[in-house]
Amino acid sequence: MARAADGRDVIVASNLSRTFRRADRQMVTALDDVTFGIDRGQFVCLVGPSGCGKSTLLKLIAGLMLPSSGALEVEGESVTQPGPERGMVFQQDSVFPWLRVIDNVEYGLKCRGVGRAERRKSAEFYLERVGLSHVARAWPRELSGGMLKRVAVATVFANGANVLLLDEPFGAVDYVTKRNLHDVLLALWTEAGSTERRTVVFVTHDVDEALILADRILVMHSGRIVDDLAVTAPRPRTTDGLMEPTMVRHKHVLLAHLGLENLQGDAKAPTGGEGTEP
Amino acid sequence: MAQRFDVLGLIGLVLLVAVWQLLTFAIPLIALPHPAHVAERIGEDFIVADYLLFYGLPETGLLDSMIYTTQNVLIAVALGATVGTVCGLVTARFDLIRAVIDPVLLVLGTIPILVLAPFFLIWFGTGRTSAVLLVAIYVAVILYIYAQRAASTLNPVYEDAAYTLGASRRRVVWDVLIKGTVPQILGGIRIALAGAWGLEAIAELLGAQQGIGKIVQVLAGSTDMEGIFAALLVLGILAVVFDAFTARFFSYVSAWSVEARTGGG
Amino acid sequence: MKWLIAQFRRRLVSILMLLAMAGIWQILSTIYTAEAVPGEPMVPGWQIVFSRTLLSLSDYWQGGLGVPSVAEGAPQSYLAALLSILDHSVDTIVRLYVGLLIGGLVGSLLGMAVSWSPWTRRIVDLPVQLLRTLPLLAMVPMFQLWFGIDFVGKIAFVGYGVGVIFFAGVVNAVKNVPQIYIDNARTLGASRLQIYRTVVMPAIFPEMRGTILLSLGIGWAAVLGAEYLGAQSGLGYVIIYSEQFAYLDRMFVVALIFVFYASISYAIFDRLSRRLLQWTPQAGRVVAHG
Repeated sequence: MARAADGRDVIVASNLSRTFRRADRQMVTALDDVTFGIDRGQFVCLVGPSGCGKSTLLKLIAGLMLPSSGALEVEGESVTQPGPERGMVFQQDSVFPWLRVIDNVEYGLKCRGVGRAERRKSAEFYLERVGLSHVARAWPRELSGGMLKRVAVATVFANGANVLLLDEPFGAVDYVTKRNLHDVLLALWTEAGSTERRTVVFVTHDVDEALILADRILVMHSGRIVDDLAVTAPRPRTTDGLMEPTMVRHKHVLLAHLGLENLQGDAKAPTGGEGTEP
Repeated sequence: MAQRFDVLGLIGLVLLVAVWQLLTFAIPLIALPHPAHVAERIGEDFIVADYLLFYGLPETGLLDSMIYTTQNVLIAVALGATVGTVCGLVTARFDLIRAVIDPVLLVLGTIPILVLAPFFLIWFGTGRTSAVLLVAIYVAVILYIYAQRAASTLNPVYEDAAYTLGASRRRVVWDVLIKGTVPQILGGIRIALAGAWGLEAIAELLGAQQGIGKIVQVLAGSTDMEGIFAALLVLGILAVVFDAFTARFFSYVSAWSVEARTGGG
Repeated sequence: MKWLIAQFRRRLVSILMLLAMAGIWQILSTIYTAEAVPGEPMVPGWQIVFSRTLLSLSDYWQGGLGVPSVAEGAPQSYLAALLSILDHSVDTIVRLYVGLLIGGLVGSLLGMAVSWSPWTRRIVDLPVQLLRTLPLLAMVPMFQLWFGIDFVGKIAFVGYGVGVIFFAGVVNAVKNVPQIYIDNARTLGASRLQIYRTVVMPAIFPEMRGTILLSLGIGWAAVLGAEYLGAQSGLGYVIIYSEQFAYLDRMFVVALIFVFYASISYAIFDRLSRRLLQWTPQAGRVVAHG
């Protein structure tokens, strides 16, 4: 079970549940009495098999969906609707095809009434950071899938959100592109310095991706959080780093949770950072 | 449609006129006038058409009629497109309203709107109102279907993304719902416009004081084929020119969309 | 079962909506009581429609079958009214479907002939687009002067309208056949004629669905327009003839009948083309691989 909330947490969920009514009128529980807290500036990965409720949880934090019961607070305020302080990168391409790339990056700032010159400066800065300055005036249809993801990342960073929610953002891109996108994301995240880092919640089903990115991994299964791993390996994490004994143990635990391995030998039980409960 | 212009098309156009010319040798001129004569006739009738005076019409010509017909079509398209688009977008998002409006418009969508023309002639007389209303309803039905389909197929992720970036509801409607459906809506307007000319003309044929249709009606009474050809050709040119304009505007406004590049229509 | 209930519910809303429209018509008729000419209300309520209107349609019976016409001095009768509606309906429907058939056939054949080579296709592209943009309904008088106001004139007009749509539809569909099918057939050694017969023809079939539905709409509008502007029979003729005497109630009934036919024909064509299309993609695939 995940650690309960304490005072420093940015995101606090208590007894959070969400049920759906399927088309055949059966009730389905996507999220079942979940309680956890997330520290400021932490990079948290939500890992679990498809249908485990991780995307639902992210949508609740984003405010795109309301909980059936329980409470959810971000920065001490109850979440009732989407807001610019919680930026989201979607699994599907959400870059508006009818706006040019730079106008997409500016969009959130424009919504909040930031002046033209200022928002253009900010958009140009973040486009440069993700390496897309040369296509600022292009239409999104002229960009590759990986480039579109960069635009989406630049957009949420430019919008200045304190909490970044990423819903399997790199699920549909090839391996090399994915590794490059990790570098881009981590560079943007770490450059702020450890005290001002944004809080990231990153949903994925890719175990290696979680191990490369996360400070902490929450494992979900059937609508519950079933494990909570602290990943303390130093950054930047290299391929060699992933072969360190602790990382290998984490990987075995995660694969076991996903039903791919039976735990044997030295990694007997799924043990995480703090208390565990299979 | 940003289609590349094909030079071979010009050859086709020349061939079309040549076939017409050849046919005039086989068919009596009273049934099929000479292309050159029709062109001459358009020039003669453009400002003042003498024959119209015989029929008690005020001094007028093709130009005045073109203006009248064009005005009616444009007013009707503006009116019908606005109503149809708004209803289509709203019903795509609110199921209850959709359940109410859908049956009405789907019935209207499967019948020729022309069936309403005689009723409008009695209810609203032979002035502008009848024709404009008839064409406006036709346009509204088409735009309703197009706008509704466009909004229903628009990926919901765009609306979600806008909200998470801090957009207000009004902004989402304008920046996502409307901007995102513009290509399909313009495509619908183009299709509606194409049919609108014929509908306006037949409304004028059935009963009107002026317009291209009125001229055709008068000329048909005296079996003046050359004059009819001239009037219809002018109307056809109007339709083609406006279609080309809409297409240009379409490809300009929808430059971002994939359909606009491949030419959907 | 659940699907049936959902289906029923959707139908129910539609039926309620149509009933509501009929109710609004009735309310309008009681509020707005103006008359077009003395004795002929602008908005004829249902009580008028179901009493005198149905009977009065016997005025349009031209006699025969042992049922004398009103013009011959016989009194109005429901039998004559029914016969007159059937008679005029048959005229309209025959004109429509003969026109559709001829126009569809000629248009498709010409379209396929022209699509034989990319060169001819490119030459006819612009003229066809022009022909399609010309306002069809405005051409009624021209066709009547050419082919007369009888059967031939109507069919020629409907046939022309439908033919242009089919012609353009086929040319466009052939243009959109994926090159990969043709290349595949060529690498398998198919001749040009074989490719046309076994690849192009099946591949354009699915695209023709839209064309067929469109041509149906054009056909109904064309037959109605042609009957409005000079005919001796047909539902459009009855409507426009009644219009001259401001018999709004008769126009209303005949228009409802016309709308009914048009809606039914759409439903039939829609279902028919759907069924035809169930096998076409599969057939297309088999052909493309063999």
